[in-house]
Amino acid sequence: MRLGRRSLLSSLPVLAAPGTCRAAAQTNEPLRIATIETLSGPGSGVNRLYSIGTRQGVAMLNAAGGFNGRPIEFREYDAQGTTSVAAERFRAAAADGIHIFVHGGSSAIAGQLIEDLRRHNMRNPARRMIFLNTGAEALELTGEKCNAFHFRLTTNAEIRVRALVAAMRAQGALGSRVVSINQNYSWGRDMEGAITAAAAAGGYEVVERILHDTNRIQDFSPFAARIAAARPSAVITGNWGNDLALLLRAVSAAGLRISFGTCFLDLPGSLSAAGDAAVGYYQAEVFNPIAFGAEGETMMEEYRARAGTFPSTSEVKAVLSMQFLGKALASLPPGTGPDTTRIAAALVAAQLRLPIGEMAIRAEDRQLIQPLVVSHVVKGSRYPIDGTDMGFEPVGVVPGPEAVNPVQASCRLERPA
Amino acid sequence: MTASVAETPMAAPPSRSRAIGVALGSLLLLVLPALATDRYLETATRGLIASLFALAFNLLWRHCRLLSFGHAAYFGAGMFATIHAMRAAEAGSLDLPLPLMPLMGLLAGAVLGLVCGALATIRTGTYFAMITLAISELVHSFGPQFGSLFGGESGLSAMRMPWAGFAFGDARQVYVLVLAWALAGAAALWLFGMTPLGRTAFAVGENETRLRFLGMRTHAVKTATFCASAAASGLAGALLAVANENVDYSIFGGGASAAPVMHTFIGGAGTFLGPVLGAVLLTGFGSIVGQATRLWLLYQGIFFVLVVMLAPGGLAGLVAAGLRRSADGQAAKALRATALVLAGALLVTCAVVFAGETLSEVLSDAYSAARATTGMRFPPVERLGLAYSPLSLPLWAAAAAAFLGGVLLLRRAMRP
Amino acid sequence: MDYFVISLLNGVVYGLLLFMVSSGLTLVFGMMGVLNFAHGSFYMIGAYAGYAIARVTGFWPAMVLAPVVVALIGAAVERWLLEPVHRHGHAQELLLTFGLVFVIEELAKLLFGPFAVDNPMPAELARPALQVGDIAFPAFKAFIGVVAAAMFAGLFALLRLTRAGLVVRAAVHRPDMVSALGHDVSRVFMLVFALGAGLAGLAGAVAGVFYPVSPNMAHELGVIVFVVVVVGGLGSLPGALVASLLIGLSTTFAVGIDATLGDGLRTLGLAWTMGGIFDVRLSSMSGAIPFFLMLLILLLRPSGLLGERA
Repeated sequence: MRLGRRSLLSSLPVLAAPGTCRAAAQTNEPLRIATIETLSGPGSGVNRLYSIGTRQGVAMLNAAGGFNGRPIEFREYDAQGTTSVAAERFRAAAADGIHIFVHGGSSAIAGQLIEDLRRHNMRNPARRMIFLNTGAEALELTGEKCNAFHFRLTTNAEIRVRALVAAMRAQGALGSRVVSINQNYSWGRDMEGAITAAAAAGGYEVVERILHDTNRIQDFSPFAARIAAARPSAVITGNWGNDLALLLRAVSAAGLRISFGTCFLDLPGSLSAAGDAAVGYYQAEVFNPIAFGAEGETMMEEYRARAGTFPSTSEVKAVLSMQFLGKALASLPPGTGPDTTRIAAALVAAQLRLPIGEMAIRAEDRQLIQPLVVSHVVKGSRYPIDGTDMGFEPVGVVPGPEAVNPVQASCRLERPA
Repeated sequence: MTASVAETPMAAPPSRSRAIGVALGSLLLLVLPALATDRYLETATRGLIASLFALAFNLLWRHCRLLSFGHAAYFGAGMFATIHAMRAAEAGSLDLPLPLMPLMGLLAGAVLGLVCGALATIRTGTYFAMITLAISELVHSFGPQFGSLFGGESGLSAMRMPWAGFAFGDARQVYVLVLAWALAGAAALWLFGMTPLGRTAFAVGENETRLRFLGMRTHAVKTATFCASAAASGLAGALLAVANENVDYSIFGGGASAAPVMHTFIGGAGTFLGPVLGAVLLTGFGSIVGQATRLWLLYQGIFFVLVVMLAPGGLAGLVAAGLRRSADGQAAKALRATALVLAGALLVTCAVVFAGETLSEVLSDAYSAARATTGMRFPPVERLGLAYSPLSLPLWAAAAAAFLGGVLLLRRAMRP
Repeated sequence: MDYFVISLLNGVVYGLLLFMVSSGLTLVFGMMGVLNFAHGSFYMIGAYAGYAIARVTGFWPAMVLAPVVVALIGAAVERWLLEPVHRHGHAQELLLTFGLVFVIEELAKLLFGPFAVDNPMPAELARPALQVGDIAFPAFKAFIGVVAAAMFAGLFALLRLTRAGLVVRAAVHRPDMVSALGHDVSRVFMLVFALGAGLAGLAGAVAGVFYPVSPNMAHELGVIVFVVVVVGGLGSLPGALVASLLIGLSTTFAVGIDATLGDGLRTLGLAWTMGGIFDVRLSSMSGAIPFFLMLLILLLRPSGLLGERA
């Protein structure tokens, strides 16, 4: 397949014209950043947060002087929840001269966008674009589909599980019998694979593997009964949304007290939907305001002053991504202009110091290496979520190099010329 | 399900004005690449695909009076088949030029449509609608299961390979390709109605029992019509696959099945080109209004409900009625009705948009932040370029009056 | 054994919840010949109404008031939206309710936000009702079951034992005749539609105690409920009950079965090595079972389990 693409490239003299790349990036042109995110329709609730966070992050960069002496321009495109509209909006963004687009809401849309990016950059080497992925976690995005201009500034299934296992083990919350319950699609299967792979390091045995229909199950109590029948010491799940809330509620209603490792309990609506059932459960994330200490507190307050509410984790991830981009932009010599090839190179070299450790890009597959905070749900939290009195209290930090997964063999980056 | 008067073929506009309309429309489609920027050409491509899909859906309804709520299955089958073929061509194992790729989607839609159609058309009416819904839900639930076939969450992608000097890299060439196929598909669907099969299918929709009495194998007729409809849906899916170069299983979801239903009945199911009107209008609406307000789905839903209530023949039915009136020498009356419809629609739109946008602003996070900083319980809302108090009684009274007045005007205009 | 007992209980309660929602749908269909696409939306409105009212009045009054609110909304929908469309035929009515689904979902999102709301369970329902081995059977499930059973009894009594029920049943079969006898049929239609909506509202309010109250609720349950009424036979109340229990039990028990279709063929002595559909575990497809069941029923017994009219 790769061969086919290369021969295609060379067969098109117009596209292969060298030297157009640098010339096109006018030095006085403003840098244009856009989000392509689901802002309306089903799924807009969670996805919109990435866009809100990116907007705030760009505003912060502009408050610090913008790029190249000019404010960074920001736009939003509504993917309307479908990959097809996302593709249409991608082309609109390309036509509008967007240099960097940001998406975090869904792996399906990210899968479309990363392929659109690959084809666009191949067809228009003079106007290459950069994809900052703030939240799509499918392994393929840094595996089979990996791309030199796509930067995954978030975690993936393996990273989440490695961090959860390390911290839960240190807490004595893991035990020796673990149940894996996940949604039966690529993400859930990635999770199941990661849970199995981490068994040796975590010193446990996977006693039950359950995959279930995604977003179709109304009654999770039969799954609770199955979990109980396996007599586990802990359960690890990658479920999100209703599938997570219903699972936690069913387990709690069945009177089972087992510790849970989860990935998406911090998404808005999850804690309120799960209710008290979630207290004590673990979660591995990039950000936790308490773990970030004084800096976390200023971040929360500053954000609230700008946006009206405390940020969700999704919003903070978008803000951190923009700060990381800001580091990369600052490393470019003055007067560079929005040259995406040089910005991409700067992103690979950039480092951002956080109170819990360093953020940096791994050159081989463009996966972000970052420390993860593992926390658990407590009542009476200082930063309560969803109008409940519950929030996340950190129990440990797993350093980036320890959490990050090995580079996937399927990733072969086609490096920019 | 009984047919209403407004949906019978009688509702078609006079043939001369229809011919002029079709000619003008085709001309516009042909010169569009010279006029529009890439961005609008992109939207036009979507409009063409949605139009073909809606026409395919309406084939079943117009002929056999069968309402399908699961046409996404055939659309998606066409998309996946085409992407697989394009991938094979990219890898060098299939020698099919890009312009012929949509045939794969046509074929896939036809095959799946034949199987599912034979099953679904055992029943009519509500049962038929429910079977189509169940089949598409089943297909949807298979989506996440088979990675090699459906590609998992992030989907499958391919690349348009150059052919005969065309790179198919820019929006213009894709538009022309899609336009050619969409016109061919629409023409085929139009001609279907002329064939003996199409005529019989019409009769099935009118009175199936009588036909069965005459010894007609109505199930076979319905299956064949279903198959034709599914094939055209598959073709539409194939065109989207060519335009997107990507597909994932979310295409099997309910939203894709709902689209042709909305397009068809807003545009008008009784006239052949009614669905096209609806598809073009709603695609443009989603593309332009969808960028401007998050509430566009609400407005679209309200629009659909109002059309179903007030204009059962759809917008094309309205246009046809107006044209027929003016052809009958009642031009003044037709003009008056048009003015009433436009005035009523304007009033209703203003009222709905005011209410929707104000509510959405008052309930937003930004507003609660403003509430905290200003210390007012209801600080003024800044929307639509104005600043006003969200509790302003005169404004709300005016909105309510505009809504009621608009609906009354519309009802008056619809009266024969 | 414990697993079997708890699964039986879970399956029955889930089935009863499905019945609560589907009873109104099948009732309205039997009466008006319209399959109300927006029925799931009434269920969602019931849940939101229960949540909003409970914040003012407390939990128990909300369980009474929420269905009333939804019934009123249902009456308004019938009178002002459906009734005017009636003369254009059933298809047009179906389309109207189809459009309403989108409007109601977007309105819910506008008014209550896109996320699930925080709807706490009252303490008296949060504790376990009985213990089966290691697993507790929670009180709110028993509550759902009791409400559903009471509802079925009440509905049955209303339709079979009262004069109003007689008129309703007559109006289903011969609306013209009933009208000629001096009954206001359009009024009966409105009342039945309101009743159907109210039942869905009650189900929503009760289910909202446990299920996340979010704008997706309508879609999640709506499609399954269609399956229930089609499997049971459109318009048949006992059919809806049987189908609800069937679907509740089969999806619940399927979760515990890890066998694949290929395994089944192998035990029959067929050496099956093909992959694809034959290697999908039944437990991972439990959500698709209702749709399989529906196709099967429609092929074998097209009018549904207890349906009369074809």
